[in-house]
Amino acid sequence: MVAAELIVTDLAFGLMLGCVFSVVAHGLNMIWGVVKVVNIAHGEFIMLGAYGAYFLNLFAGLTPLETAPVDAAIGLLVGYAFYYAFLHRELRNKETITLQSEMVTLAATFGLSLFVSNLAIILFTGNPVGVNYNPGTLQFGYVRVPLAALYVAILSVLIIMGTWLFLERTFIGSAIRAYAQDVTATELVGANPAKVASLATALGFAVTMAGGALLTVWIPVGINPLMGALYAPISFVIVVLGGPGKMWGSLVGGLTLGVVIDLLQAFTTAQIAYAAAFLILIPVLVFRPEGLLK
Amino acid sequence: MKIEKPGLTLYGLCIVMALLASAALLLGVAVSSILLLLLIYAALAYSINFITGMMGYVDFGHVLFMAIGSYALATLVSYYGANPLLGVGLGALLGLVFALGIGLVILRFRGVYFAIATVVLVLAAYNIVLQFPQLGAGGEIIFNLTFQPLATYFTIWTIVLIEIVLTYYVNRSRIGFGIRAIKNEEDAASSVGVSPRTLKLTGYMLGGLFGGAAGAVYAWSISGVTAGPAFDFTFSLLMLAMIIIGGVGTSIGPLLGAVVVYIPSYFLLTTVAQAQPLMIGLLVIIMALFLPDGIVGLLRRSNQRLRLVLE
Amino acid sequence: MQAKPRRLATRTTAIIVIVIVALVVASGGGVYYYVNYVARPPCASAPSGNIKVGFTISLTGTYNVEGGKSLAGIQAAASWINDNGGVTVNGKARNITLDYYDDQSSSTLVPQLYTKIITQDCAQFLLAPYSSGLTGAAAPLAEQYNRVMLSHGGSSDTIWTHGYQNVFGVLSPASTYFKNAIDWLVANNHSGDKLAILHADDTFSTAASAAAANYAAGLHLDVVYNDKYSATTQDLSTQLIAAKAAGAEDLLGGGHFDDGLKIVHQLSSVGWTPKFISLLVAVTEPEFQQQLGGAANLVTGPSQWETIVTYSPATAQAANIPWYGPNETQFVNYYSKQSNAGSPTYHSGEAGAAVVVLADAIQTAKSTDTTNVRQAISNMHIMTFFGQFKVDATGKQSGHSMVLVQWQSGGLAVVAPDAVASGTVKYPYTGS
Repeated sequence: MVAAELIVTDLAFGLMLGCVFSVVAHGLNMIWGVVKVVNIAHGEFIMLGAYGAYFLNLFAGLTPLETAPVDAAIGLLVGYAFYYAFLHRELRNKETITLQSEMVTLAATFGLSLFVSNLAIILFTGNPVGVNYNPGTLQFGYVRVPLAALYVAILSVLIIMGTWLFLERTFIGSAIRAYAQDVTATELVGANPAKVASLATALGFAVTMAGGALLTVWIPVGINPLMGALYAPISFVIVVLGGPGKMWGSLVGGLTLGVVIDLLQAFTTAQIAYAAAFLILIPVLVFRPEGLLK
Repeated sequence: MKIEKPGLTLYGLCIVMALLASAALLLGVAVSSILLLLLIYAALAYSINFITGMMGYVDFGHVLFMAIGSYALATLVSYYGANPLLGVGLGALLGLVFALGIGLVILRFRGVYFAIATVVLVLAAYNIVLQFPQLGAGGEIIFNLTFQPLATYFTIWTIVLIEIVLTYYVNRSRIGFGIRAIKNEEDAASSVGVSPRTLKLTGYMLGGLFGGAAGAVYAWSISGVTAGPAFDFTFSLLMLAMIIIGGVGTSIGPLLGAVVVYIPSYFLLTTVAQAQPLMIGLLVIIMALFLPDGIVGLLRRSNQRLRLVLE
Repeated sequence: MQAKPRRLATRTTAIIVIVIVALVVASGGGVYYYVNYVARPPCASAPSGNIKVGFTISLTGTYNVEGGKSLAGIQAAASWINDNGGVTVNGKARNITLDYYDDQSSSTLVPQLYTKIITQDCAQFLLAPYSSGLTGAAAPLAEQYNRVMLSHGGSSDTIWTHGYQNVFGVLSPASTYFKNAIDWLVANNHSGDKLAILHADDTFSTAASAAAANYAAGLHLDVVYNDKYSATTQDLSTQLIAAKAAGAEDLLGGGHFDDGLKIVHQLSSVGWTPKFISLLVAVTEPEFQQQLGGAANLVTGPSQWETIVTYSPATAQAANIPWYGPNETQFVNYYSKQSNAGSPTYHSGEAGAAVVVLADAIQTAKSTDTTNVRQAISNMHIMTFFGQFKVDATGKQSGHSMVLVQWQSGGLAVVAPDAVASGTVKYPYTGS
């Protein structure tokens, strides 16, 4: 019975970790899916979101759950700024993004990632910090679950569901979907492509930074300026697994990764678990470049 | 058909290399230890130039080949007591072989997919190396070779010289035209009579070869290899920054970029450590958005004569 | 962008190939010659003024807590020596100057910085950085450039398996870290406890934990769980749950400061309260208790040195060992004069001791020459405020001994070995 208990517990933790991975990657997914740009500095904005949670906890006593909306609001502004500074020149008046533009955005956001992470070291020092948030645990049968992680998991799924509803059920949402399909179609719907693209980018940033805040629950002493170097690649893998632009894809990718890491860790070593989690990407790209979902 | 006579760029680069060689011989260890790292960075910049510079495949994971070279040399010298030159040779060879294997798979991906694949390969490779006690299992592989400043210096000097000559001729040759065509449209590449796939693989393997060689010399210069720093993305990012700042795909750009990136870093490292990457980040953003041809492009546009001479 | 394509003539291609092959062969020969060429080491004409001691230390990044404490310890020891007659070489008193840079806890920067310290700044002696990982990256350069290097924060036994001539440990090696904890369990009728070992995968933690597993097995303790995790692991609940499920009652392991925090933090979230916890490095730092509060209470950990444990000139005389350097009070006193130092921890003690040992070795050798000082250190057996100093043939520390500490209602008590203990181990751990 011990082995079964272990697997069930690992599965539960893996699923909860997967949920937070999903929401962390979800912002990248939205930007990638709609404006077809991969933000190499994605991890740095997760980091900023996490620091947001840290400082709001330090100065205002807010829990990571309460900081998420604040971070999201900041993310909206940052996202708009990002769009007009980095993407607008490359995207305007273009029906599809060219390889040349793709390279430009990759290089520019790569520069941004260097800039932001080092600015963060100067501002916040390189010392790792954390948010102490522990509302207790809950017993499900023989699985004991930390409430913080459970709340975060539920909130993550709600955020992803929210973005899906927004895209499916609102007029702006359908304009964004139209943009993702075909830029000229956006104008047919009667929306300004630049406005639609900037809104999608801003939403992506809002989710990214909120995700950074939620992530702090899992890293009690792990908030540091270089944390982006781990979460950016994790996000890339998740989005490719799920398929860029598919809202539920983030969840599929995140849960796959969370479960693979936690289960493999239980049976092999942490190193093999992480190596495998990253390497899944290659066969998926070769055999199912459109992602696991559909 | 006749090949165009070598231009001023090549002569200029050769003069710089001659100066670098005499600097090490005349100015002593204090200076050559600074220049050594400059040359290692230049070698890395030229190696990634074959991939990202010429073909437009943004490679965030080039440090992988550097690590392969480092481990090749460290293992050979530490466990078998081999001459470090053999280690450099093995590093280059393994870089080439791994580039062939990896390239066959990931060169099928285009644009961002390729870039992301290179990132995850490094992370996976790092975690795999940690599994092997023979590779130090996360610890270090060390060798005691005493002090050989000139040997390491001239090895990397030679590697850079070969890279310069090769870059220069590839850029001017028909093959080079094909490789560069990949950047814009892969189908156009086939107009030179070789399949784009072979061309891409050639470029990638050249990158792997020289990346491996440079990594081996780096391990030699610090007398060992440790898993953490060997797979440190910093190197990848610096290489990429160097060619973006210097001028992607050009013959002179990587060296220019290496100078611009490394020399200030040497002085800032011990004063305001973060100022340098901060500045590099800013420069990369500006270059990427406004000056896609880097410093070389800027110089060319500013002056008609330079436009004809700089390559 | 470029001129239109040109086909390379076969002849030209051949020429290029020949040129490259010639280059490789010529430079290969040249380099082969230089491999055996003994270069004049940098800064060969030693300045006769102050004695320059170079090192890097982690003031930012993962090891900033330990690094800051170490730096203040080094500075305290150096200023005590300078205020008390300096280092006497051939009848001439010379002061110690420190030449250090922040390595940002990055082993990538360490080689670059040590090369600068040696070749540009002309440091005559080296201290290692904090942590075994960084020391591992710095030590080869001490060999390459032939400089004596004292390790004060790198204790992994593997450092001394490479045949280094110039690298000496001041602190007890990693393999001895858990000895006191296991001895206590055996001596106090808890040898029936089932042990779990969970540690970070860096060289130091691996060495300490592997030695603990061996030592425990030798004493017939039952190690029911033994695993390591990588630096990328954010969630240790899998490991902790597995350890609990394996029936473990006591937990040994950890890594550095962050690891200790992470483990204790996650113990409560997976609902496991081991009876006895002993963690590396983190426990001795006051920040450990500040950040964890009640959860830190009754956690034990190995320590190289505590201010409560006093070694004095009198102890040295009783043991018939020469004494050198500041006594405990003087060290603590000088330590408190350093900026932002807080109270000294064992990282301060071991780092300060490295400077004291170096100064004594230079005085004994009557020279600042690497060969002579190396000889002096190899033969030394002295006592300092940090305890005994004596190295074995490989340069590993063999004279110094460790203690076991435990957080008890907000204060740190030395609980083992009995000879130096200020309290007794409280058992079991309650989680609050």
